[in-house]
Amino acid sequence: MSDKIVKSKFFFEEDFIETIGEVSSKEYKSLPPNKKLKYVGKPLNRKDAPVKASGKAKFTFDIELPHMVYARTLRSPHPNAIIKDIDTLHARQVPGVFAILHTFNMSAFNGGKIEWYGNSFLFDPHVRYVGDEIACVAAKDEETAERALKLIDVKYEILDYEIDAKKSMNSKLKIHPDGNVRRGKPFEYERGSVKDGFDEADEIIEDEFSTQVAVHNPTEPHCSVADWNKDKLTIYDSTQAVFRVRNMIADALDTPKDSVRIIKEYMGGGFGGKLEAGKYSVMAALLAKKLKRPVKILNDRREQNIALGNRPDSVQKLKIGVKTDGTITALNHYAYAAIGAYPSGGGCSWPLRTLYKCDNVRTEEYSVYTNAGRARAFRAPGNVQGTFGLESLLDEAAEKIGMDPLEFRVKNFVDFDQVGGKPYTSKMLIEAYKIGAKKIGWENRNKIPGGGKGYVKRGVGMASQIWWGGGGPPAHVRLELDSNGKIVAFAGSQDLGTGTYTFVAQVIGEILEIAPDNIDVVLGDTDRVPYGPSSGGSTTAPSISPAARDAAERMKEKLISNAAALWNVESENVGFENGTVFMKNDKSKKLSAKDIVAQLDDKKISALGSREANPDGYSVQTFGAQFAEVEVDTLTGNVRVLKVVAVHDVGRILNGKTLENQFHGGIIMGIGFALTEEQIRDEYTGKILNDNFHDYKVPTIKETPEIEVFILGEGDMKANNMGVKGIGEPAMIPTPAAIANAVYNAIGKRIKSLPITPDKIITALYDEA
Amino acid sequence: MPKNTMQKITFILNNENIFADVKPNSTLLDFIRKKERLTGTKEVCKEGDCGACSVLIGELENGIVRYKNVTSCIYPIANAEGKHVVTIEGLNQNSLNKIQEFYVGENAAQCGFCTPGFIVSTAEYFLNNNERNVEKVYDSISGNICRCTGYGSIKRAAEKLVADVPEAPEDYGERLKFLIEKKIIPEYFLSIKDKLQNILQTKKIDADGAKGKTIVAGGTDLFVQRADEMLNEEGYFVKNFAKKFISEENGSVILSGATTFEDFFNSEIIKTAIPNIHKAFKLIASQAVRNSATLAGNIVNASPIGDMTIILLALNAKLILKGKREREIALKDFYLDYKKVDKANDEIIEKIIFEKPGRGFRFNFEKVSKRTHLDIASVNTAFAAFADDGIIRSATLSAGGIAPIPKVLEEATEFLSGKEINNALLNEVVEIANSVISPISDVRGSADYKRLLLGQLIKAHFIELFSDRLNVGEAI
Repeated sequence: MSDKIVKSKFFFEEDFIETIGEVSSKEYKSLPPNKKLKYVGKPLNRKDAPVKASGKAKFTFDIELPHMVYARTLRSPHPNAIIKDIDTLHARQVPGVFAILHTFNMSAFNGGKIEWYGNSFLFDPHVRYVGDEIACVAAKDEETAERALKLIDVKYEILDYEIDAKKSMNSKLKIHPDGNVRRGKPFEYERGSVKDGFDEADEIIEDEFSTQVAVHNPTEPHCSVADWNKDKLTIYDSTQAVFRVRNMIADALDTPKDSVRIIKEYMGGGFGGKLEAGKYSVMAALLAKKLKRPVKILNDRREQNIALGNRPDSVQKLKIGVKTDGTITALNHYAYAAIGAYPSGGGCSWPLRTLYKCDNVRTEEYSVYTNAGRARAFRAPGNVQGTFGLESLLDEAAEKIGMDPLEFRVKNFVDFDQVGGKPYTSKMLIEAYKIGAKKIGWENRNKIPGGGKGYVKRGVGMASQIWWGGGGPPAHVRLELDSNGKIVAFAGSQDLGTGTYTFVAQVIGEILEIAPDNIDVVLGDTDRVPYGPSSGGSTTAPSISPAARDAAERMKEKLISNAAALWNVESENVGFENGTVFMKNDKSKKLSAKDIVAQLDDKKISALGSREANPDGYSVQTFGAQFAEVEVDTLTGNVRVLKVVAVHDVGRILNGKTLENQFHGGIIMGIGFALTEEQIRDEYTGKILNDNFHDYKVPTIKETPEIEVFILGEGDMKANNMGVKGIGEPAMIPTPAAIANAVYNAIGKRIKSLPITPDKIITALYDEA
Repeated sequence: MPKNTMQKITFILNNENIFADVKPNSTLLDFIRKKERLTGTKEVCKEGDCGACSVLIGELENGIVRYKNVTSCIYPIANAEGKHVVTIEGLNQNSLNKIQEFYVGENAAQCGFCTPGFIVSTAEYFLNNNERNVEKVYDSISGNICRCTGYGSIKRAAEKLVADVPEAPEDYGERLKFLIEKKIIPEYFLSIKDKLQNILQTKKIDADGAKGKTIVAGGTDLFVQRADEMLNEEGYFVKNFAKKFISEENGSVILSGATTFEDFFNSEIIKTAIPNIHKAFKLIASQAVRNSATLAGNIVNASPIGDMTIILLALNAKLILKGKREREIALKDFYLDYKKVDKANDEIIEKIIFEKPGRGFRFNFEKVSKRTHLDIASVNTAFAAFADDGIIRSATLSAGGIAPIPKVLEEATEFLSGKEINNALLNEVVEIANSVISPISDVRGSADYKRLLLGQLIKAHFIELFSDRLNVGEAI
């Protein structure tokens, strides 16, 4: 086979990553539009829906193994402190307590450095935020472990702390030895000359926008079950990244990667927060080894909120230069974000660098260490924040020059990637604007913002979106056909709940002409599935579906060539139809897949498929526009989103039902970010004041508006052999910005900081001082 | 070391009799998941705010087992005594049940972690509604949080279910048979009544007083605030003794302290006595919490923003406390300071009484919170007034979130009496209210904002009740 190894570079959540991997170099006929297909694109039921609806699906949270032990973590009550002493005497005396790990009894464990926590230790003697790990107790049940935690006596040297990014940037207090700005400097980008650009401009508009800290809050908290069998460690983990977790755990334990197996069958959501190994997983592994019993470690809702990741805040200073004809002459973005106490990313300038045509662009982004919980990738990290700033500013600029905001965006459309210099495989934003404007009733919006009658005012706004979502290699799918004719697909991926089990079966079913119900799909097990990428960055479907097609096409070829060999003819003389091979010149001669396998000594046929390389000379991106209609009660400040129209260029639809859920879910999460979700950090104590669902408000069914989703085109066939791009993140990115612009259109006051809560509306309307 | 507070308990879990020794203040969820290893019921927030742990509680009332949904994570197991507890496993049948069939068909399960809770809450809709109305399904699942689907597919599953399942008999017993026939609940539900009767006959409840014990009613706040401490405390479980009733006597409405929020809002007596009360209903908690939470619990909890307390304050309610002896106190005098009430440890709020309002009575409740539904107020306020011919004859204005205690704004109340309704009056009352409050800044808003907001909400009261007497544009 003429497959090859390529090094590919693509954006994954917060950074460009380079990977080396085998790719398929096979070229296939372009897949026809969905309406000519049998399974792909059809709204089939999810394969995993019945076990989920009956409560039978076992999540990591539900796993119970014989002789299992339960672990809980002691977390720092101080935002910055040095641990002087830990006395566990009373905790150890609690009946049913089996082991306690902490910084002063970890000598047996290879130093315990955790590379991805900035080389701090598993239990670092320096705790850097309220929630940092101090100790871990294993006991006969959770209740006992929790009781023991309270009896651990820790002596601290309490230090000053800083939870605000701006103050931290200029603070003498060093959260990390190399300074509080990550990597010691901002990330800077410039093309053209912004100075010249602003000189050319007829109007210059400057403004400042900010966004809040938000928390993923998946329903299933982060958790692991660790179990050793001799030198082999198995971890059941609630993760979006089985292979990445395997590698990180192996590194942390300094053990070969193949001695670690990660299993994840079902998980209760991730949204980017479960893309790496947790310190808790390492603790469970160590405790399980020590006790020679399986260890389950759970994090509760509070831990979820304080210690297991968040979307960092942002403060964005934007400046735009425009000509009266609507040409953007310059864009400048200065932004900083509090990334918490350990390495993470807080940049948000990407949309501004790429979304609209502009020759003179400068961006400067600071990721700042603070004494707070660490930021993690969260559904379109950076782009949700950056899009809110950019799209708010664009509306301001359009108003200033007296241009319709949509017309202004059309005027500044660009069809190539201005950063990489390559054309896009597809960019259907103009079409998105047309459909969205029609469906929302754009012409009926307030011509004068705030000009509506009555005290409940309506408004309409929109925003655009760009996100990578192209996926890439290495990603593999292995098919096995057994002597019963049963096909099992082992896919190098995991299902967060997005529908991976289902679409893998649909793609294979399409090529092999077999009903997807008759294909079993195995995911999320590093010992059983071939290598594949983490499920993040909206890359799963565009990485895995082409690999699934490649595997199925190869399986088809193998069936044909095996039949040809059995019949002593050349492969060209054998055809394939309805899952069966036939002799072209004598259609009565047929062999089913089962018949073929039955005649082979091996009694099975395997085929390994791989994702092809991304196309040379192109940039693969997703685009879309969302339009929102809102109602603002100017008496109470309540904002209600009435309708959202989402029109996106995200490649081929694999399954209409799972696509709809992804879009609705992203839009509702966007509504949460726009209106209610906000982590509140207390500057006087460094503590989180709303570490629970009582006070951290995610949307309920009663906050859902009417939603219409339109997908443009039949598939981005330049992108990969399936024409598929990602959808999970594009669905959320423009929602908060569209809502903010709609609120402005309703009340004539621009709310420049998210979330748009009743207090901000009321204050803007009535409390000018 | 913790005291040994184990207690024997008997109830039915799905189709199985349970006789167990439990800590009475442990939660039903822990029993289900950790003792019985039924893992379809999930733990997500452990505060009754997400519904992932929803179960049905069937209670024998006048010869009928009536079901309601509760959040088992804050449901003290002692309250399950003599009841039928139904988890997702207890709704499963040989193949998918009708609700599951539509959830699967509409793709209403994504990650699936919250799904069993939604199915259980949807079953509650069918058990308690004979007519078909999708909004009522949304009420039943309003306390269930889903972080993946965006609810669109769940709403469609609900719509299609409502279209598919015909109206059910009004008679509860007949309805159960109908729901079995429609594959919504399994057949064993029919045998539960006799089993519960047997349990209740053999069980003699020993009520030896509240002294020295933690008084537990619905537990919906206690188990959020201090579940860990509660675990090893002795509890006095009011719901096992107290009668629930809402009655009218001599021109007064009398409610037992154990009345749940849901019973309050569904009561015909209340609906008739307090016009416009349904508006408040939508803004207060979720159905699952309203099914557990009691009026007395809300009052004793003494939260400065307790919604039911604010409503009862505007109605000039009185409390009948029962300890060694019985005494009466006006609700507005019950609050001494932040979280301090005029109540001895062993006293229990037996009754809540307010005069049944007559002609010319108007009522309105306003609340603003970060999230409109299922949230705690930044400021809430209730306004009750008798008015005719454009004159306020008498009125009571209560407000929460503006002082350490839930309050009647007495100065504003007195001022309004006998005044003509117009914009000037509104402005004056807003000013008076503003001068007597002392809000503090907290997670629900700054002091300045709460001040501004109360004024806005008083305007909202007037616009809601007297828009014909005001220039609304000017009022805003």
